[in-house]
Amino acid sequence: MNNWVILKLGIIFIIIISFFWLFVFGPFYDSIIIQLAVFALVMGWNVLRFSLREAISLLKFCLPFVLSLLVFGLIFHFMQLFGRTDWLEDTLIKCFIFPSSLVFLKILLTYISYLDILNLPISMEKRIGLITMKSAFQKGEKILSRFSWYLNTYSDLQSSNRIKSQLQKYACLIIALYLYLYEEIENSNRLLKNRYLHLYEVNE
Amino acid sequence: MEIHKGKYRLENRNLNFDIVDDLNFDSNRGCLYLRGDNGFGKTSFLEKIIIPALKTANLSYLYIGQDIRTQLYTLRALLSIRGFKVSDTDEVELLRLWIHHSQSARVLILDEFDKYFPDYGFIFDWSDAFIRNYIIVTHLGMNRSGAVAKQHGICNTRFELISIDGRLKNIRVRNE
Repeated sequence: MNNWVILKLGIIFIIIISFFWLFVFGPFYDSIIIQLAVFALVMGWNVLRFSLREAISLLKFCLPFVLSLLVFGLIFHFMQLFGRTDWLEDTLIKCFIFPSSLVFLKILLTYISYLDILNLPISMEKRIGLITMKSAFQKGEKILSRFSWYLNTYSDLQSSNRIKSQLQKYACLIIALYLYLYEEIENSNRLLKNRYLHLYEVNE
Repeated sequence: MEIHKGKYRLENRNLNFDIVDDLNFDSNRGCLYLRGDNGFGKTSFLEKIIIPALKTANLSYLYIGQDIRTQLYTLRALLSIRGFKVSDTDEVELLRLWIHHSQSARVLILDEFDKYFPDYGFIFDWSDAFIRNYIIVTHLGMNRSGAVAKQHGICNTRFELISIDGRLKNIRVRNE
């Protein structure tokens, strides 16, 4: 069982490293056509693995980051910063790479189950740490849309300046998510440790 | 603002509302209690019908949701970017700060707030000066009339299950 888990996790990590080596830092980085194809494939995979709704909400989450990247790219392009004339093309590539790599990483990591972590030949302390991280990030992902919903109800965040209110909303979203993950990780970790210690004592 | 009587369908929540009476949020001060068993769509009614109607009417409102523990993270974040030091602030104080700094609101919506704070008269004390209408989802039999009755007319609206077509629930919404 242990060997099978190590093999499975090894394959997952090799795939992740290969993806980043090929498309993010390596030979296919420059090709906008390939980046577009990778983006389409990864999004399609995400729809099949989860749902269309989930894929759309993920894209919505990425949108402000992609848009700000695009705005800076356009500014740099028209300024011809550092004498470069390829800012626009480079920015477009990054606009595809960012969501592709995020979604790809997310999909691959969902193939690692709690049972896999439990079967890893590492100390219980480390297993609890990994389980806590996995659980917190899964919850964090689900809670994002609810946070976003609440933030949309706050009149404080609705101003005549749409860009300003959107930026404030995203700042709140990130802070809320950080606070949530911080507390969630701490609580889950304490809970798991207590349960493990209790079971250990009972079995002793 | 008024929500007219008629049929309202929430496809993705499998709910079909038949609103028997117009729901009025006009200038008269009022406290509307939404009552009914679990699963009859009170929260969906708030989030999918009342809140969008308030937004369309450009009527400023405050909404405290049923999952208040989740909402508090967003309130903490909101108050932080407004410059308040809220790192050690408890949940009641967070709510007080938020309500105190939202005096442009005219409608306050509470969804099962009494589940967390059975005695929630403090909410009325904080908001009575500027809130015109309260909308409250509750499972408790009695109204918090002591705190609001003097200035607010109370209306009880009941959610009743009429029938179930497959997964679709037909709910009647009527004033008592």
